Amino acid sequence: MSIEISQLSKTYNQESDFPVHAVKSLDLTIEQGEFVAVMGPSGSGKTTLLNMIGGIDTPTSGSVLIDSENICELDDKALIAFRRDHVGFIFQDYSLLPVLTALENVEFVMQLQGLSEKVCRARASELLTMVGLGEQMHKVPSKLSGGQQQRVAVARALAPRPRFVMADEPTANLDAKSTSELLDIMQSLNEKEGTTFIFSTHDQRVIKRAKRVIVFEDGKLTEDKQQ
Amino acid sequence: MLFKLAWRNLWRQKRRTLLTALALSLALFLSLFMRSMQEGSYENNIDNSARFSTGLLQLQNPEFSESQSIEDLLPGTTDFITPVTAPPLSPHITHHLPRIESFALASASERAKGVMVFGVEPERENSYSGIADKLIAGEFIDADDKQVLVGEGLARFLSIKLGDELVLYGQGYRGQTAAGLYKVKGIIHFPLAAMDNQLVYMPIKLAQTLYSTGEQVTSWVLHTDSLDMVAEVKSELVQAFGSKVNVRDWQQLSPEMAQQIAMDKAGGVFMMYLLYGVVGFGLFATILMMTLERQREFGVMLATGLLRRKLLGLIAIESGFIALIGVLIGLIITLPVVTYFHYHPIQLTGETAQLMLEMGWEPIIPMMLSFSLVFDQVKIVLGLMFICLLYPLWRAYRIDLVSALKGDSYG
Repeated sequence: MSIEISQLSKTYNQESDFPVHAVKSLDLTIEQGEFVAVMGPSGSGKTTLLNMIGGIDTPTSGSVLIDSENICELDDKALIAFRRDHVGFIFQDYSLLPVLTALENVEFVMQLQGLSEKVCRARASELLTMVGLGEQMHKVPSKLSGGQQQRVAVARALAPRPRFVMADEPTANLDAKSTSELLDIMQSLNEKEGTTFIFSTHDQRVIKRAKRVIVFEDGKLTEDKQQ
Repeated sequence: MLFKLAWRNLWRQKRRTLLTALALSLALFLSLFMRSMQEGSYENNIDNSARFSTGLLQLQNPEFSESQSIEDLLPGTTDFITPVTAPPLSPHITHHLPRIESFALASASERAKGVMVFGVEPERENSYSGIADKLIAGEFIDADDKQVLVGEGLARFLSIKLGDELVLYGQGYRGQTAAGLYKVKGIIHFPLAAMDNQLVYMPIKLAQTLYSTGEQVTSWVLHTDSLDMVAEVKSELVQAFGSKVNVRDWQQLSPEMAQQIAMDKAGGVFMMYLLYGVVGFGLFATILMMTLERQREFGVMLATGLLRRKLLGLIAIESGFIALIGVLIGLIITLPVVTYFHYHPIQLTGETAQLMLEMGWEPIIPMMLSFSLVFDQVKIVLGLMFICLLYPLWRAYRIDLVSALKGDSYG
């Protein structure tokens, strides 16, 4: 699976006197199994780029081809199905459903795919054990630490066997130890299962661990380096 | 999973959920109590009034309602009334009474007055309306009597007493003269002056002789086992008798009463909707708040693949749970109270009670215990919930994913 981005632009408030050009004519290709960090100052367009790759936002112009399918042409319903089946999301604030246990949070996204309860339960248990939460899986998020919640979020992102995982500043709210543990898990999954990870970050600890770093400034790609 | 999620979401704000449900319960309690009391007293009044005069249903000659003439009659035979006395109608018809109702001029000594003559089967009429209890002097008539009962006001006007003679003069069947001389066997007191001043009761055979109707009657008075059955029985009677008989229900027979009840009911229903309207705002505020404060959460759910329609379903289920809790608590509180007052009606006292007693009615306000009343309230609560849901659902449907994920809660 590859992601081919061509002449991608996003302008907010297009009709107003002060349009905001979040992403400007971007060309980029990300191959299967990459571990990519997108860095740049606040407001540089990192999150907008991730949102457009993940099918959350639609570009003003250009295309995002996922295995040759332009997701920018999909309607709302098809985009939801695309996200459900092909993209895993990890959010900065974990964004777990507070009333569900860790296990149920992971099961929930698989149930949206229509998988049986038994299959969901087995895979969710397996993933939570893999991220080191085998003993904590029946706890609700409020009973888990920030690091543990983010690990649940990783398990949730991986549960539907996505083609790639988008992580928007996943370590922003974590301490050094939790950050390191989370990166270990993500890196291990990337290496063992070949899952593509794309994350936006300011965190130098994360950038050091990335295999490829894309630097963004003022909506433009200014640097793209392999590490 | 959606049901589990919805149920657990309710208890994130326990106090808010319970207060909203309790507000619904209170509205349901007050509305159901009020409506049960209203319908109970309507039923009681209609039943009392029907027994006293018109019956719940009447079979009449198709011309009679317009003409009120002794020319427009129905057979008074057992054969004719067979559809009423045989299944499937018989289990629902508790009484069927033949009557002659006509006008006559009554005179005694030096005075005369237009009167209403009721020819009835005394025993059956008494078991239906308890008319013998209204006797203030003399004895009740029996089927073969040649004597009559008169209202107290009429007796006073004509200056007659027990054993005195009364001449009735009028027009009989097919233009014949109806005239007869009858002794007064009893004097009845009716609380309604209009009746007290003009009613004469006599055995139906005697009335048939007076008006030369043979075995014919002006109407068959019917009573059903419950007020709810009137419409159904009427429709079956119409089918059974066809166009040769006019089947009239109590609304047609007592239009003033039907109108009064309709107006009273409209007032009650207006109050009920007012009450639900006030509670509805509370419900609306809760549902809207539940929707707006979770935009980010909804955004995450949509991002991870929840279809918008399922998101709307989740909100609807949560609201449905609140309504269900409200209805359940409301019914748990209301049903025992209404059931108690159904079997132990509120007793009236003072002048109102006295007036009702004089009319031969029990001085009570009974409560109606009816599934349809309960069902109506549940429907109203669910309808209210649906209305309250429309705007929050619309807001949820048009959530902008990017804004929601940024946490723009009220965008």
